[in-house]
Amino acid sequence: MSEKKSKLAIIFELYTTFFKLGLFCFGGGYAAVPLFEREIVEEKKWIGKEKIIDIFAVAQSLPGAIALNSAAFVGYSVAGLPGAIAALLGNLTPSTIIMLILSMLFSQFNENLYVQKAFNGIRPIIVGLITYAAFKIGKTAIKDIYCALIAIIAFVLAVVFHVSVIFIILGGIAAGILLTLYKSLSNTDQYRHISKDGE
Amino acid sequence: MLELINIFLLFVKISAFSFGGGYVAFPIIQEANETYAWMSDMELSNILSLAGMSPGPVAINGAVGVGYKVAGIPGVFAAFLGIAVPCAIIVTLVATFFFKVYKKPAVSNILYILRAVIAGVILYAGVNFALKNGMILAGVFEKSSRMIEGGWNVMSSSVHLFEVKSIVMTVAVFFMLLKTKVHPIFIILGGGVLGIFIF
Repeated sequence: MSEKKSKLAIIFELYTTFFKLGLFCFGGGYAAVPLFEREIVEEKKWIGKEKIIDIFAVAQSLPGAIALNSAAFVGYSVAGLPGAIAALLGNLTPSTIIMLILSMLFSQFNENLYVQKAFNGIRPIIVGLITYAAFKIGKTAIKDIYCALIAIIAFVLAVVFHVSVIFIILGGIAAGILLTLYKSLSNTDQYRHISKDGE
Repeated sequence: MLELINIFLLFVKISAFSFGGGYVAFPIIQEANETYAWMSDMELSNILSLAGMSPGPVAINGAVGVGYKVAGIPGVFAAFLGIAVPCAIIVTLVATFFFKVYKKPAVSNILYILRAVIAGVILYAGVNFALKNGMILAGVFEKSSRMIEGGWNVMSSSVHLFEVKSIVMTVAVFFMLLKTKVHPIFIILGGGVLGIFIF
């Protein structure tokens, strides 16, 4: 097999592999992690065990869906930008089709009394799912009293003062940058020490 | 055409700012819906509920559902591109640069604050979802939210406080997720069936 053809084959394989993963990742997010590991590290051997952990760590600290970011990263590591796009599209295709079908059905039966009753039952479930997601993230994110305070401030700004979520997130990023500046000014030695360790 | 551009830009914004999982996207989509008056809060809540039932990341499913409702199949493409394009760009940039700076203190400081912010924002997403649907305080803060028909609505001097069945279901889901390993999709479907009987 020639070099060029095998690259095309790999890109196609990336698409189909992530198509399959996208089909079975109900709920997305962290549910995707073990499936990804099995398929990509153990089956396809595209990426080492260490690197995939790094990829998940980076993917969850970036904006956007974790599963999608991870897919794009794996694709990029295997075959550059075309690989990233193939993995991304593969992962998006099944859920897009299924969601489209659900939306079409929904717009047909929207007015139906039983459908409305069913949605009355589903909406509280979604609230429960969201609250649980907040609890789980809070458990790992809130490490001290300052974090708890920050989380409360973010919540109050949104609920009471109707500050746009995007501004709250930008504020968080700005505060993180200020914290770094503050730390590096107040304790230059320690900063140097940490950054050396980080290399 | 303007509609399509608005959809595209909304999901670019979401793709670029929704740190920490899909539910952060919910209030951003709800905000946009208020600005553009695409549909009623209840309709949007139902679409976002459907997003939780389709495989794959909820933010993307939400994008597809909203895109379809607002502008049909072209709307789906606009939303799909809005999610995929920033993801490909961010991952490509990060794969080139970010792995090198990932362990620098600035990044860990930003994430330290950002994760706490996200915990607060996701809790807000849950509360906001309940407010928009009349599960709590129907018509008090959200003027357009109406009391749930067939629910047990608790009032205090003609001010709506909460709806009992929804609150019980929300709390039950939270503890199911905390204590058992039942997959969320089954909880959602169960909620739909239960809703037909109790509302």
